Amino acid sequence: MLRGAPVKRVLVLQPGLLLVGIGAWAFGVSQTQRQAIGPYGVLASANGWFFVGLAVLLAGMLAELGRTRPRTWLLGAFLVALIVAIHTTVPLLYGGTPEYAWVYKHVGVAQAFGQYHRVTDTSNIYQEWPALFAAVASISSLGDAGPLTFAAWGPVAFELADALLLLGIFRLLTGDRRLPYLAVLLYEGLIAWVGQDYLSPQAFGYLLWLGIMAIVIRWLLVPAPAHCRWRFVNTTRGFLLRGRPTPADSSATMRWIALALVAVIYFAIVAAHQLTPYIALLGVAALVALGLVWRGWLALGLLAVIAVGYLAPRYGLITSQFGGIFSGGDVFENAAGSQGILHKAAEANTGLVVHVLAAGMWLGAVAAIALRWRSLGRVAIPAALAFSPFVVLGVQSYGGEAIYRVFLFSAPWCALLIAELIAELRGTLRSLVSVVVCAAALVAGLQGLYGPTAVYAFTPPELAASLWLYGHAPPGSLLILPADNFPGLEAANYAAYDLQIMPADPQTGASWLDEANLGEVTQWIGSLGHSSAYVVFSKSMDNYASYFGYPAGYEQLAKAVAADSAWQVVHRDADVVIYRVTF
Amino acid sequence: MSMPSLALRQPRTRTGLTAWAGIAASAAAVVLLAAPGRGPNLAGAFLLACVPVGAAVMCWVDSGEGLVQAGLTLVLSLAVTAIVSAAMIWLTVWRPPALYAFAVIGVTSCAGRLVRWRRPCCAGRQ
Repeated sequence: MLRGAPVKRVLVLQPGLLLVGIGAWAFGVSQTQRQAIGPYGVLASANGWFFVGLAVLLAGMLAELGRTRPRTWLLGAFLVALIVAIHTTVPLLYGGTPEYAWVYKHVGVAQAFGQYHRVTDTSNIYQEWPALFAAVASISSLGDAGPLTFAAWGPVAFELADALLLLGIFRLLTGDRRLPYLAVLLYEGLIAWVGQDYLSPQAFGYLLWLGIMAIVIRWLLVPAPAHCRWRFVNTTRGFLLRGRPTPADSSATMRWIALALVAVIYFAIVAAHQLTPYIALLGVAALVALGLVWRGWLALGLLAVIAVGYLAPRYGLITSQFGGIFSGGDVFENAAGSQGILHKAAEANTGLVVHVLAAGMWLGAVAAIALRWRSLGRVAIPAALAFSPFVVLGVQSYGGEAIYRVFLFSAPWCALLIAELIAELRGTLRSLVSVVVCAAALVAGLQGLYGPTAVYAFTPPELAASLWLYGHAPPGSLLILPADNFPGLEAANYAAYDLQIMPADPQTGASWLDEANLGEVTQWIGSLGHSSAYVVFSKSMDNYASYFGYPAGYEQLAKAVAADSAWQVVHRDADVVIYRVTF
Repeated sequence: MSMPSLALRQPRTRTGLTAWAGIAASAAAVVLLAAPGRGPNLAGAFLLACVPVGAAVMCWVDSGEGLVQAGLTLVLSLAVTAIVSAAMIWLTVWRPPALYAFAVIGVTSCAGRLVRWRRPCCAGRQ
């Protein structure tokens, strides 16, 4: 009995840590005041129990990973708890209101499909790639609940689904019980900041792409590349694939079925998002170039035909919004991220943290590959998938967002490469490195995710004010935002309104208006040709102006209109004032 | 990295579980959609979009790994839901209740799989 006691303690310790971690995190969130969240975000303002909860969950999972035979159900439970804790904190603090202003545009398109049942605006790029929005509209219609009721939970749903696929893919690639969980844990820290998991076509496309990767890795890999007539190709492949483990065998029938499933999933990606199909194609192309995919060139051709076939009739839209597929070959400019973002104070520091994290991830992956130079075949698949997305930087900046997509599509495979490197360490060193690397990735990733919370998260009064505006302003009205940060365009008839952003923010385009000058602002509004306008001032706009330093005159304008009797208050709540100004 | 042997364990259990999950999810989705209240309706709609069609396919296909089996069930369901919904928009035949067909497809395919699985002649072929 005494001899068994330590074993029993170990058996119950980690499950206990899971419960303690969840409880501490939940209590910490309940004790955190969203009003206290400042320019450094949630991490700088959260209650201490929030950190205790996350730390206990991380420690518990790493402790379980350190056991000789880790319990996969418990590792899975820790992973789910961590993902839920990371991605539900902001929605819980903000009363279930969706984060990010651009999510509301997506909601509006889904609402429009639900109400008008067709494409109403062929010049709207979202409506021309309707797969996700139509699916959301279907679910909303069947469930009798608008997308706003569930949009806030998009990140946690997508991350849980992504983690499921990644665990499965990593199990297929490694055959290990421990490694996939370590890799996905690391991945969750690495990608937390990139913010591509909200209710959006790209998050949907990413999940489907993971499905394609699972099918390719399970059924479409061949044991050895076919002989090529060019000797240098065979030599290069021989070097790159040396030491590669034999993949699972599959019947020809099953491979054809797998190819058909890939085509179906790929079509859904193509109809949902503009960029994802091409990054997905690059990953498949890299594996085909290595000679790893069964009927690789046929598969690649099939996917290319689907992508081009869909794009061709809509190419004009791409040209008008992104300058065509080949918008510019300046890799460094395309990799520079969102153009025009003004890095100031807290924003600059948070930006620095995630840049270091991104650089660390890619350096770690390169190191993992370099250390296996004698048997590169062991890492050929994740290495090809980790670095093939970079090709997109050679042709497209995607409005400054291409680098974020490259990071996202590269991250799973980099995480696997780094995790495998860690797993090869022995004893205490492995535990120590696991703790340091995972904790560093999580802290940096969370700072990137939570840093701009005060700017990008909206309070229930802000959403209520936006809904009030669309409910009360007659269609055709002019709606004006002094700063480009407010829930807008979420109504089904969003296109019936003339929504304008004051041209006073260099981050959103031409900046020539001085918001501090009320006369100049009034003149600009009058020049837009409406007899009246609704002008919105909100807490998140104020936070935006403070965070980025622009629009410089926002605060003065808010004070000036409050004292001007020509500006009539038509709606006021805790965080928003809406004025109506008549000409 | 070492590829695992994918003469994996208990394929019948995995595809059988997928079939049972497909039937259960299809039935639960229909019941939830018929129940009063937005909460159950929304849960039913998500269930209908996330499970039956994928299960209808994956109950016949063993991926060799439970997590992949579940993941592909989800991904295939979502992909088909998105394509069908987009087709309704393109063709201007907006009929979201048509998604109930997913439940019918899911139950039919999964039940067919279970019936076939119980026959000794087919078990050996898996």
